[in-house]
Amino acid sequence: MLEQIKNEFKNASDLLMDTLDNGYLRMELAYFPSLCDERIKDGLLVPFSYRFDPDEFRRMLHSNPKYQKQDKSEEWANLLLKGNVLLEIDGQCYSFKSDRTFVTEVGTTQVEASLQGPQSAFTEDINLNISLVRIRYNKSILTVKPFDKGSFSHTSIQVLYDSELVNENVLKMLFKQMENVNIDLLQASGQLVKELTDRSHRLFPTLLQTERPDRVAVMLRRGKIVILMNGSRFAIVLPVRLFDFMHAMDDDYESYWISRFLIIMRYMAVSLTVILPAVYIAIVSYNPEIFRVQLAFTIDGSRAGVPYPSFVEVFIMLFMIEALIEASIRLPRFVGSTATTVGGLILGQAAQQAGLVSSIMIIVTSVVAISNFVVPNPNFSQSVRLMKYPFVIIAMIYGISGVAVMFFAMIVYLCSLRSFGEPYLALFTPKNQMNSGHGKD
Amino acid sequence: MARYFYYHVIYVGMINVMLFVPWTLIQHRFNGAVSGMAIAIVFGTLISYLTISFILRFPGMGFAEIIRTYFSHGVTVVILILAAFIWFMAGMLVIYSYSATIQQFFNPDMNPYLFMLLMTLAGVWGASRCSRSVQFAHEIMMLLCTPLILMILFKAIFSPWLDWDAIRVTSGYIRTAPSFVSLCAATFVFAGYNTLGIFNRLLPAGAKIKYRWIIPLFCSFFLLVSFFIPIGFHGTVGVADYLYIWSITADSMIMEYGFVYRVLYIFLLLYTALSLMFAMNTWHTAMEFLKACHPKHKPKTEQFPAPAVNWWINLAFAILTFVYAFWTNEQRNQWVNQYWLITRTFVDITTTVLLGWIVFRGSRKKKKQPPIPRDAAVTDT
Repeated sequence: MLEQIKNEFKNASDLLMDTLDNGYLRMELAYFPSLCDERIKDGLLVPFSYRFDPDEFRRMLHSNPKYQKQDKSEEWANLLLKGNVLLEIDGQCYSFKSDRTFVTEVGTTQVEASLQGPQSAFTEDINLNISLVRIRYNKSILTVKPFDKGSFSHTSIQVLYDSELVNENVLKMLFKQMENVNIDLLQASGQLVKELTDRSHRLFPTLLQTERPDRVAVMLRRGKIVILMNGSRFAIVLPVRLFDFMHAMDDDYESYWISRFLIIMRYMAVSLTVILPAVYIAIVSYNPEIFRVQLAFTIDGSRAGVPYPSFVEVFIMLFMIEALIEASIRLPRFVGSTATTVGGLILGQAAQQAGLVSSIMIIVTSVVAISNFVVPNPNFSQSVRLMKYPFVIIAMIYGISGVAVMFFAMIVYLCSLRSFGEPYLALFTPKNQMNSGHGKD
Repeated sequence: MARYFYYHVIYVGMINVMLFVPWTLIQHRFNGAVSGMAIAIVFGTLISYLTISFILRFPGMGFAEIIRTYFSHGVTVVILILAAFIWFMAGMLVIYSYSATIQQFFNPDMNPYLFMLLMTLAGVWGASRCSRSVQFAHEIMMLLCTPLILMILFKAIFSPWLDWDAIRVTSGYIRTAPSFVSLCAATFVFAGYNTLGIFNRLLPAGAKIKYRWIIPLFCSFFLLVSFFIPIGFHGTVGVADYLYIWSITADSMIMEYGFVYRVLYIFLLLYTALSLMFAMNTWHTAMEFLKACHPKHKPKTEQFPAPAVNWWINLAFAILTFVYAFWTNEQRNQWVNQYWLITRTFVDITTTVLLGWIVFRGSRKKKKQPPIPRDAAVTDT
């Protein structure tokens, strides 16, 4: 065995290969100490060395589920790389599972915070993640299907679904799509999302990434499919609808009217953040007569010192706010507050006093920025952030009527999207069987 | 899923404003519009009830598939192309008049073709989607429009400036003999049921369209509102002075509170949505009819992404719209509108008669061969 492994790992100096002899039995041993943990001592070395009992040792090899007979020599390399110990006794090869887990504690939510809901989040360890889901979805019908993707990273992926509720068509489509996944290094769930989306140039996410096990459990209960990936804190949920992206888990935990209020407010915020810059341009440059006279005068008065047309102003402010958002994500924590202070001060007061932008534009910008962060899902939030630019451009050419037409086009676009064959934006489709009733093909 | 059907009924009922139905009626207000409307209410209800029951006998089949089962390929293609032409004209006329309205009221110094370009592009974009997406989009747009519609209607009806005497005077002309054009124009308000010609494909087998009283109730309401409210605002004589009569009527109202002062702008925004929905629907239907001309065409209600042929057909529609816009002016557009309304009425009657005849033939065939179970017989015919 050792010869063959040596041939395959010619330059891996961190691979430990040895032949142990305790006087009764010779054992060939190979493993990566960096990939394996302390369990190898109690599980293998102690029973083999000073507590050795030939009968007990053989019984252990055959009965302990961590030991597996490995007859196929072509899989050895893979097993070693996955953190197994390979051993050969009397010409029979065994593997001993001793992979090191770096994460032993449940994470806390960082992207999708919740006020009073569970605070635990997925980790970068897939086994821990599965246990997090199993604890919440405690049913025997929860099916877990393993995959191995990434020709260089060999990332393990688990597909979870409720075998009774799941939509078979979606499942078939997913497995077909999984076969087409062709990627070298699979390191983040976002990459998998891109690969699974049938057309990559989409403005809106059609797969949901979430770090919350409670959301995953809710989704499983609705018959959706969940993909967990080793090394990623985010689970992928499919098929999803637009409403799932706008849904915070708190909505399920708050009382009825509060959550209704929050949901309505969120949709209003999203429409504001998308159309407000465009409406500003349209009102200021094209159709000031829409607003009542006093308001039109106020807006125009605030622009008195601004020397260029409104769309330049909008582009300046939107660029600044986008740069500020980007900077606060990338900056290390300790420097982060600098960006916000400087940005807030300069954007807020100074730009207006210098006569570069109007004070109304400052309000517009802040409403846009704040409303953008109301979206509970970061992916969707990014899409919304991008969506305002087509509106701005159309408002530059056509004014307010262009904005209305663009809004229609956006609704049509959203309605024409499909998430694994399921409609993305459609009202009043039954929760579990979205295909029933219409669309008979 | 019958609710999708009623969305069509309702917005087609409201789009009449853009097809100069109120203008046509008001031109004839002293010589036959009121009696024409009364007849149209009865006639429109009757023809819509009949067509719905006929089409529902062919579950999952569009108009194209139904006539294909009875006629030879050549006849089918002729009928379909005629139907597609009528449908396409509807979308084209609405886009043209809406662009003209916008040019007049929103962006007077803009090149008139520039806004039409945007409207046609949006129409092409919407119509080239698959039928199911079109249906979803209709529902959402409809729900978004509802508050605006209700607001304008209530503002109009309860406005202190609405002169009910003028309305009473005009409605007194009900005893005059109905004029033909106003009868045809008024029937258009009931035309929403025609969308079943395509969207019946999406109705599940055995679906029933309940609450059919919605059609006479709502459509009569829209018809009466779009005729009488302008008369109430402008008086029995002054009302004939305006071409874009409803935009002017909406401009007669103000909102005391809020950002926007003139109701006109709310009205125009609402009709952006309605016109685009109408254009999307008519062009989509025309496109589906043209696609069904191919002898081996299999109708698909769910296609993502949209096939290239959808784009090409709709782009052709867009180009035709521009050709029309170059040719036409206010007078010609009026003329085309009137003749379109008349032709449409005849096409509607022909469609109903055709469908009735097919159903009749089908039921006679069924009597001759009793052993075939009912469901199979219906789908076979």
